[in-house]
Amino acid sequence: MRPRRWLLGLLAAAVGLMPLSALAHKESDAYLSLRTDSQDAHRMHGQWDIALRDLDYAIGIDGNHDGAVTWGEVQARRTAIENYALQRLAIKGDGMVCALQPTGQKIDHHTDGAYVVILFDAVCDKNIPSKLTVVYQLMYDLDPYHRGIVTLHAGDKTAGAVLGPSHPEASLDLREPDRWGEFKSFMVDGIWHIWTGFDHILFLLSLLLPAVLIRRRLNTSGHGFASGAAVADSSGALMAWMPHAPHNRWEPVASFWPACVDVIKIVSAFSVSHSITLSLAVLGVVHVPSRLVESGIALSVMLAALNNVYPLVNKRIWLIAFAFGFVHGLGFASALAGLQLPAGAMAASLGGFSVGVEIGQEAIVLAFLPLAFLLRKTRFYQVTLLRWGSVLIVAIAAGWLIQRAFDIPIPGFSALLSR
Amino acid sequence: MSVISEGTDSAAHRRGDGRALRFFFWVALLLGNGAVQAQSTPYIPDNADVVLQQVPPTTDPRVRHFNQLRAELSRQPHDTDKAVALARAYIDYGRSTGDARYLGRAMALIQPRMQAPQPPVPVLLVHATILQSMHFFQASRDELARILQRDPDNVQAWLTMATVAMVQGDGDLANRACVQLANLSGDFMGIVCTASLRSVTGHGEQAYVLLKMVEDPGPKAPPAIRAWLEGLLADVAARLGRVDQADAHFKQALQWAPGDNFLLAEYGGFLLDQGRPREAMALVSGDRQSDTSLLVLVAAETALALPQATADVAEMDARFRSMAQRGDHVFLREQSAYLLHIKHDPQAALAIARQDWQVQRAPQDVRVYLEAALAAHDPAAAAPVLAFIARTQLSDVTIDPLVAQLRAAAPAASTSTGR
Repeated sequence: MRPRRWLLGLLAAAVGLMPLSALAHKESDAYLSLRTDSQDAHRMHGQWDIALRDLDYAIGIDGNHDGAVTWGEVQARRTAIENYALQRLAIKGDGMVCALQPTGQKIDHHTDGAYVVILFDAVCDKNIPSKLTVVYQLMYDLDPYHRGIVTLHAGDKTAGAVLGPSHPEASLDLREPDRWGEFKSFMVDGIWHIWTGFDHILFLLSLLLPAVLIRRRLNTSGHGFASGAAVADSSGALMAWMPHAPHNRWEPVASFWPACVDVIKIVSAFSVSHSITLSLAVLGVVHVPSRLVESGIALSVMLAALNNVYPLVNKRIWLIAFAFGFVHGLGFASALAGLQLPAGAMAASLGGFSVGVEIGQEAIVLAFLPLAFLLRKTRFYQVTLLRWGSVLIVAIAAGWLIQRAFDIPIPGFSALLSR
Repeated sequence: MSVISEGTDSAAHRRGDGRALRFFFWVALLLGNGAVQAQSTPYIPDNADVVLQQVPPTTDPRVRHFNQLRAELSRQPHDTDKAVALARAYIDYGRSTGDARYLGRAMALIQPRMQAPQPPVPVLLVHATILQSMHFFQASRDELARILQRDPDNVQAWLTMATVAMVQGDGDLANRACVQLANLSGDFMGIVCTASLRSVTGHGEQAYVLLKMVEDPGPKAPPAIRAWLEGLLADVAARLGRVDQADAHFKQALQWAPGDNFLLAEYGGFLLDQGRPREAMALVSGDRQSDTSLLVLVAAETALALPQATADVAEMDARFRSMAQRGDHVFLREQSAYLLHIKHDPQAALAIARQDWQVQRAPQDVRVYLEAALAAHDPAAAAPVLAFIARTQLSDVTIDPLVAQLRAAAPAASTSTGR
């Protein structure tokens, strides 16, 4: 008998015949629980129990290799453990990934040994949605039989899933959809979008500035003035140099209400048109390249301001608002782009965002109108704000237009629109 | 035909991985708040020197061996020979320690290499061995059949095939595999294989004589092989009711492989059968982290009506719960016995025994099924098992009286199954 081959057979036997018994320990598990915060709608508290044996295999915990993992060795590897684990977990709400921030390290014992407990917070940009997606990839490359036992607690509601390398993702219903909460969250988004969107504000201001004034034709007498006025009419810049161009001049409105009605018309027209395109774009009916939209917005700001310096449209400013509102609506939609909204949440988020945009612009109007009305007779308002302010807006908008349409970076301009 | 129904069941299991996971989703939902997570409270250990977890120490030559292989493999990740060697080392270690995690780690090495259009035979063999160890018997068998089509003289494949066939109670296939082994690898493997088969087909005396012929495989044989042979001898002797011989072989086996998880469970069960619970306790009391050892301990404590039985039963309950949570199915035989003898719930035990019977049909599976059917006063439920015994002529001192009782309890059932 050939001993070498014989021994080979024996070794094969050791592998082949013997693993018949039940195994003494179950396979690798980890326990992940997520709990909503009753105070903070953007935050979930996570607890992830991972077996020390698994972590030791994955990244090495037993520093001195003596076969006994101590608390000191676990503490020494805290950052490594957190990095290793949290990089292999994604918690997503409405398609957006929530940030995972470790908050503590503890120890717990499960039926098959000691586990390190990673305490962390999942902080989401938006309110925690009613449906949460968990992508679980711990041990995916080290142990296909690893299972992550995931439990979600939202108030008194519990949902769970068993995830593993062959089945890493689950969407879990956290609670009955909180449409009002989603609505509020997106409403706040809408308000901030208007307030931080410098271009929208400048467009509105350009339209609103002349609302407390009336453009009145004067009976001209001096010939010399007439030619000057003609030059002034043909050039906004020159007009700016000649604030008292005689044959047309701004006069303050006599009473508050006509001005107020004017403002309401402008704002309503703007709202109607931008709501239309916002809805169409979010629903995916229309798609306009963002470069075109952004350039269009810059152009609208420029033209609206130019109209104050060299008035073309005088009586029906709301028409400008209405026409350019379509472009601004497309711009608002870009703020909602990238959200994979479930069908049910669409109405709440879109509606909330629109209402937020309205509230944001009404707030600007409410702050602007009384002040403008009080200042309307002053030279400061008529010259410095209306004329020079508009010229400045034209210059800024022209810069944006060049930058956006031709992709030419202009130093300092990006900072104006950092959002 | 039982084998066919079993085959479809196993295949369905593999295909239905997603379905199973969905099922365990609901299990997790039910258990989400359950004891496994709720009963423990994370804490911060008192000081850095507290030992939390034993992990494989580098003083263990097996650990050094696979650590070295792992390091080599990380330098040459495409070296299939190294990956196979490391996977085998993990399987061996997992078997002797009973730690199922090592099967997962072996699988992680093998699975990517299974994606190749035609994976090398050694890769397929390790894959089939892991499937067998995870109790995916039918999947393992299918894969072994494919290997043997490509390489009909593969000793390891025939050996594993024989093992799977015996667990599945397929005497014909086991016999064919034993003949092939005898032809391919000389007397030793053929004898061991044949003896194993004969011992479960009513030829225990002959099996014992055959095993005695190869009991001393020479000084070069690894201790694990000697332990394995002594364990087989102990099994056969116990089946024949030769208590003293069985006891001596168990002791001998444990001398060759001290602390071997499989042997501890087998010997512990034997001692309990013999009404020697104190010896069983002494045998496994140092190994309570192992599920199989804790089962022996709990049974011994219960038999002795010791006060600590309550706490240990609760601990075992928690372990079964956490297995259910992850969706484990490898522990059905043990769970059925536990439900019957410790929890005194014959109906539940019988339900689990039925499930177990779909997967494996070793003498221990026969025994727990019959015991559960008797205790549940449902002799008709035992019909398929009695038919199996009639077909295979299985004889075992722990099983024969159960068969007699069941036939006496349900003469109608016994006549209909035929002799």
